[in-house]
Amino acid sequence: MSVAEPTDPLGRVEPKARAAAETPFQRFVSDYFDNWIAAAALILLGALIALALAAPWLVPQNPYDLAQIDILDSRLPPGTPSSTGAFTHWLGTDGAGRDLVSAIFYGLRISLFVGVSSGIIAMALGAAVGLAATYAGGRIETLVMRIVDLQLSFPAILVALMLIAVLGKGVDKIVIALVTVQWAYYARTVRGSALVEGRKDYVAAARCLGLSNARIVFRHILPNCLPPLIVVATVQTAHAISLEATLSFLGVGLPQTEPSLGVLISNGFEYMLSGKYWISFFPGIALLLTIVSINLVGDHLRDVLNPRLSR
Amino acid sequence: MTAFIIRRLMQSVGVALAMSLIVFIGMHIVGDPIYILVDPQSDQAEIDATIRRLGLDRPLWEQYLLFLKGAVTGNLGNSFVHGTSALPLILERMPATLELAFASLILAIVIGIPLGLYAGLYPETVASRAIMAGSILGFSLPTFWVGIMMIMVFAVMLGWLPSTGRGPTATYLGMTSSLFTVEGWRYVLLPALNLALLKVSLVIRLTKSGTSEAIHQDYIKFARAKGLSRSRIVGVHLLKNILIPVVTVLGLEFGNQIAFAVVTETIFAWPGMGRLLISSIQSLDRPVIVAYLIITVLMFIVINLVVDILYSLLDPRVRLGEKSA
Repeated sequence: MSVAEPTDPLGRVEPKARAAAETPFQRFVSDYFDNWIAAAALILLGALIALALAAPWLVPQNPYDLAQIDILDSRLPPGTPSSTGAFTHWLGTDGAGRDLVSAIFYGLRISLFVGVSSGIIAMALGAAVGLAATYAGGRIETLVMRIVDLQLSFPAILVALMLIAVLGKGVDKIVIALVTVQWAYYARTVRGSALVEGRKDYVAAARCLGLSNARIVFRHILPNCLPPLIVVATVQTAHAISLEATLSFLGVGLPQTEPSLGVLISNGFEYMLSGKYWISFFPGIALLLTIVSINLVGDHLRDVLNPRLSR
Repeated sequence: MTAFIIRRLMQSVGVALAMSLIVFIGMHIVGDPIYILVDPQSDQAEIDATIRRLGLDRPLWEQYLLFLKGAVTGNLGNSFVHGTSALPLILERMPATLELAFASLILAIVIGIPLGLYAGLYPETVASRAIMAGSILGFSLPTFWVGIMMIMVFAVMLGWLPSTGRGPTATYLGMTSSLFTVEGWRYVLLPALNLALLKVSLVIRLTKSGTSEAIHQDYIKFARAKGLSRSRIVGVHLLKNILIPVVTVLGLEFGNQIAFAVVTETIFAWPGMGRLLISSIQSLDRPVIVAYLIITVLMFIVINLVVDILYSLLDPRVRLGEKSA
């Protein structure tokens, strides 16, 4: 402490100047990284997303290019070198001779794509319906919220199974089913916070300024409803990924041509009883890491974004 | 109370009708089940005969009305695949599913409440932190993958428990169940544990938060001042009060158990109605899917009603029917 710290006239050390200049976003970031578990989860999630996006350039083989796989390589245990000797199957191979590392990275791409896209569509749809219902009020609001209550009283997996029974297999069908299952959560969340926000002074002020209703709802109320919506979105995305994997495992989700992590686990299940654990085990670990890291991030976001808990 | 029950029942009938209509119409968009059901080598005359036999040639609304008329008389149509009536097909598999759901409920209570109590009474210990961290994991782990891993560890590697199927059954008090035989429990243990996983986490968290709230209440302090033993305070006074939310949630979750049994039954080859649903979806066996849905909706309605009534009995502060439900 050789450098004299700035002091006020009473000789007290002034609070760090940086704190005053902090933007809300910087404060949010520093709050978030205070918790090392949440920070680690965010880094892990980022790494998983990066791996999934960069999969074609990272993995030793394209697991769905038939010219690159050899059926003689099937069901090799982890650590076996490939028959061409070009690389090692660090996590073994599956029943068709695909390298599991490559299959998992590609599977992660599909799982994340389905989970995130259904999450975004459901959020847009649910938020729009929720806001519109709250704005309309009266009978329409009651009707919409009754539908939301009714849907949420049935387990998501049952609703999804019924939709799949009606729609059939395929990526688009799964996304439709997941959106249908999830929109109600967003609608309920956005209505809850829109009701609170709508009574606040800034909305009254905006109204006095003569702003249009659409402008008030979308430019003033919606941004203030975002924090709870973001938290619900993270948790629901994890849920969507898990649900897609479950449906694919049951054989009613994605087809074999779109091998998500759930399809990979399902393929490995038939070899489980003969002790070839790795075909199901490693894709499951990848799925688990994805879901747990998203849940941890969402859980901590809830704390950071909640003004009542901030110091 | 009576008015409340009647109103709820009428709402329920409306829900069941709406759901059956949605699914029934939806089934017709998927395409013609006829080509799945007839022999690929059959000629047009045979196809036409089958269409007439199954009633697929009539207009949609007529098929639906016929179906409704049948539903009221307990006839939900014949399975396209099995050729027998859909309702008995599901009902004969129902005991196995209920048995699985019931066993997992017992496991959730037996494992969850003591662990939650411990974590609530001694929140600072390492064991409590481990319990709470474990319960977060229980929420995040995909059920089906845990089931696979259970088979791998306990059936394949250790060989302690059978991996698939339902054990021998015994009849007791008019009920036939594999829970009445020791061998039956060996079969039910893994699937039930798999199905209970989520509920255990839920019960732990509910019991823990209930306990840590209740121990600071006046009635606990008073009981302690009165000189009651610790075990009596925890076992009688505390437990009675924290059980209310646990009972409610477990009751409502019983319906979820039956829905999630679809996954567990598929993994463990458990001969319940969930496995029937999956194979029916794969073969587009419309009557069975619709019948399953209607039975499940009815079960949900009954469960929710029973939980509501039970709740008012457990907690006299709750008065049913005062505000419109």
